Amino acid sequence: MAALYGAGALSSLLARWSGRLALGVGHLAALAGAVVGLGVSLGVLLGDPGRTLIQPLPDLFPFARLSLSVDGLSAYFLLVISLVAVAAAIYGPAYLQAHAPDMRPARQAAQVLALNAFLGCMALVCCAGDALTFLLSWEGMTLASYVLVVSDDQDGENARAGLLYMVMTHAGTVLLLVAFLALTERAGAFDFAALRAAAGDLDGTTRTTLFFLALGGFATKAGVVPLHVWLPRAHPAAPSHISALMSGVMLKVAIYGILRFAFDLLAPVAGPLPSSWGWTVLFVGTTSAVLGVLYALQQHDLKRLLAFHSVENIGIILIGVGLAMILWRREGAGGALTTVALTAALLHTVNHAAFKGLLFLGAGSVLCRTHVRNMEELGGLARRMPWTAGLFLLGAVAISALPPLNGFVSEWLTFQALLGGASRFHGPAGLVIVFSAAMLALTGGLAAACFAKAFGVTFLGRPRTPHAEHATEAPPSMIAGMVWLGAVCVALGVAPGYAMRLLDAPTVALLHGPEASAVVTARGPLVLSMGLTASGTDATAISMTMVAALLIALTAIAWILRRGLRRAPPRTAPTWTCGMSPTARFDYTATAFAKPLRLVFAALYRPRRVVTQETAGTPYVVQRIHYAGEVVDLSETQIYHRVEWGISALSQAIRARSTGRIHGYIAFVLGALFVALLLFGVGQR
Amino acid sequence: MTGERPLALVLIEMTLLVLLGPLVTGTIQKLKARLQCRQGAGILQPYHDLTKLLRKGTVQADTTSGFFRSIPVLVLAATVAAGALVPVVRAGPPAFPLGDAVMLLGLLALARFLTAVGALDAGGAFGGMGASREMTIAPLVEPVLMMVVFSIAVAAGTTELGALAARRGTSWILAWRAADFLGFAAILVLLPAETGRIPVDNPDTHLELTMLHEGMLLEHSGPGLGCMMLASHTRQIVTLGLVSALFFPVGLADGAGATGLLLGAGAFAAKILVLATYLALVESSYAKLRFFRVPQYLGIGFVCALTALALRIL
Repeated sequence: MAALYGAGALSSLLARWSGRLALGVGHLAALAGAVVGLGVSLGVLLGDPGRTLIQPLPDLFPFARLSLSVDGLSAYFLLVISLVAVAAAIYGPAYLQAHAPDMRPARQAAQVLALNAFLGCMALVCCAGDALTFLLSWEGMTLASYVLVVSDDQDGENARAGLLYMVMTHAGTVLLLVAFLALTERAGAFDFAALRAAAGDLDGTTRTTLFFLALGGFATKAGVVPLHVWLPRAHPAAPSHISALMSGVMLKVAIYGILRFAFDLLAPVAGPLPSSWGWTVLFVGTTSAVLGVLYALQQHDLKRLLAFHSVENIGIILIGVGLAMILWRREGAGGALTTVALTAALLHTVNHAAFKGLLFLGAGSVLCRTHVRNMEELGGLARRMPWTAGLFLLGAVAISALPPLNGFVSEWLTFQALLGGASRFHGPAGLVIVFSAAMLALTGGLAAACFAKAFGVTFLGRPRTPHAEHATEAPPSMIAGMVWLGAVCVALGVAPGYAMRLLDAPTVALLHGPEASAVVTARGPLVLSMGLTASGTDATAISMTMVAALLIALTAIAWILRRGLRRAPPRTAPTWTCGMSPTARFDYTATAFAKPLRLVFAALYRPRRVVTQETAGTPYVVQRIHYAGEVVDLSETQIYHRVEWGISALSQAIRARSTGRIHGYIAFVLGALFVALLLFGVGQR
Repeated sequence: MTGERPLALVLIEMTLLVLLGPLVTGTIQKLKARLQCRQGAGILQPYHDLTKLLRKGTVQADTTSGFFRSIPVLVLAATVAAGALVPVVRAGPPAFPLGDAVMLLGLLALARFLTAVGALDAGGAFGGMGASREMTIAPLVEPVLMMVVFSIAVAAGTTELGALAARRGTSWILAWRAADFLGFAAILVLLPAETGRIPVDNPDTHLELTMLHEGMLLEHSGPGLGCMMLASHTRQIVTLGLVSALFFPVGLADGAGATGLLLGAGAFAAKILVLATYLALVESSYAKLRFFRVPQYLGIGFVCALTALALRIL
């Protein structure tokens, strides 16, 4: 597989002769790599649950043996990567052709090279068997995605987004480095087995410190509030199929890291995880979910809105992960509830990859046909791009956690796990868990509001600008990419029981407890069931398949009713606008749609609003009104601006001391050396 | 623990709900009229309206997309499917699992989402206004409703409504605890919001200042409007059925015996009538709240539901 991605990267050399050829071959290689990835992961997932595939790599460094090891967890994340990579590889060439037809061959070569490197590195991170491979591919993933973010640069905006992205993720990588190096120093080797053994005799404080270092590093990459500020800038900047990969998959690689550290590398040999871990993860998950969706509501840039929804969904995944951490090894009877919580998180991982990939590809189709990202300038696209609109609506229903699609399944499981957790933990702990469930419900409702807005304003009504008016349907290969992800959404929604089989290996690998399918689909693959109390195992049961069948049957009946008793063809007439002739300005705008919620949650949004009026002589004749409004990200103003202010104040202070004379600097160096010797020299003795 | 409900019974119960939905609306309208010293239309008026709409032709806005025609169908299907999840005459889980209370709320939310999408399609300001307001209220109502469901579910150990009713079957109002009273108080606050009635919404008017749900229906006509109306009648009775399954499972039949089923049906009618009377009383005695006051009103429900949950868990 790595070879195929490598071939794809090499194919960028073809660009010397022809940019189109390089695009075609490069994406084809990426597609082949993704298909091989699918095969490998399915092979591991459907095989013996405890099996681990180990593949030594050539010795590149004298001090470390490199290897790949694919256990259940790795294989599952490899599956997630490959699912979206297939769609991106199908979608990519046509998108790049349509969006920027006059791109220079060198740029196309860079695109292809970075795409293949990005996919390859993500796969390698998940399959890494030692710390060095992990860190190297982690860095490769960051660099490749940086290239992709800035590749589409027109006005310098993307370069700034890319810079912020680089700074933030490297700050995170530093934390990861510290965590990993602390472990490797103790182990004296780099491979995970040695690290695991070395972590076995850590004391509690060191273990927790290392975990929080790793959590900080991964949370930066995952875009957890308040470390998310780079995400809504960098994700929209990349080409749309890359946005799909970054949002749908790259964030999941960070989730993989959290799971690998918490349940595998740093987990104590016996007994539950330290309680601070799980509660922290649950807390940041809930915060991210609610704040992510709230900020998404106020975005009018389609891709930026989707990027904020990634923050929300990562939050939902972390709620499941946090709950699993809290419950792990705490309950008897095989820990069925822990398995449910982890299953919910893992299922939401693949679900989010599918629907967020689909939505980003849909937004990409809109973008390449209209060259507009601001939805206030769109509208009426459903008549012009019916396939894109239909698939976007499918993704919107899925991400809003509405039945019968896949988003609902994983949120249902999360709800059940939270309720089960709440009834195990009495007292304040239970209340926190239930509050988290209520916040999850709020998140779902707000997501539905947000996507009613996003879909309605972008695709329905009248076109607001000529860009939207002259849009045409996207080319077939782009639609094919979207159909693939749409099919995954429907399949995971209507028959989730069959997908549970794939979750057996990761849950067993991490928890050493019962298999996911044994817990959740105890009553056959068509039924999802679980018990809230320890005694009842299948007190609550739902069947997505039956509900979907019922919905289809009822739709058929309702369709007959809809045709009515009089078979007259429908007349068309202009929309009633109180006697005026309807224009696009009568359409409700995204700003107006979200205004009530902006006022309800004003405390969190702190909306700014400037209205200026130009009057002609008297104040009663208004010639022109100018309205400007914006919603600021609280974490940006409250945290980052203060940090920025602090740093600039500090640099000002330092600048005042830099006289430019060499003697002064030498004195500083000597002083620093003296202090360092004093501090660490004393420690040595 | 009682036996399971066969699938045929589930479907019959669902049909019963759909057929009785307009009757509940008619009853509320009649009660309101009497309370306001008017004669009012007969309680069968909603049926007449529906048949009239089904006989009419359709006028469609010229800017609408292909989705617009299927919106009423999907909304009706989702709402009726939610109706299949409510135990009407008999307690116990269905023989083949369908869905639980979370699924029920999810299906209602699906119907609401599609209605809002349809409202934006015609490109008029009224539809957008209605959709925007409805989608503002909905995310505030849903979590509270979910919390009430959780407060019962934690006690009963399941979120499946039939099983939940079966487990709580013996507990009549005397066995209620503080958590139940608080949860019920929360439901009483939420009920007008969820059924689209005063003080949150006003089903009788098409005035743009007051409407939420009606604003979204403006561009539908003929049989399509009929489907939307039927969906909102069904939504109302499903919500009332959810409340009676959560709080008054008394009277639901235990087995398949004919007397039990008849008794269950009678008890269901009585429960729905009581809740409908409550709605009529509230509608007649309060004014509609200003839109931006509604979150504060729902806040009362939130506090009640949170306290109910806290009492249940602590």
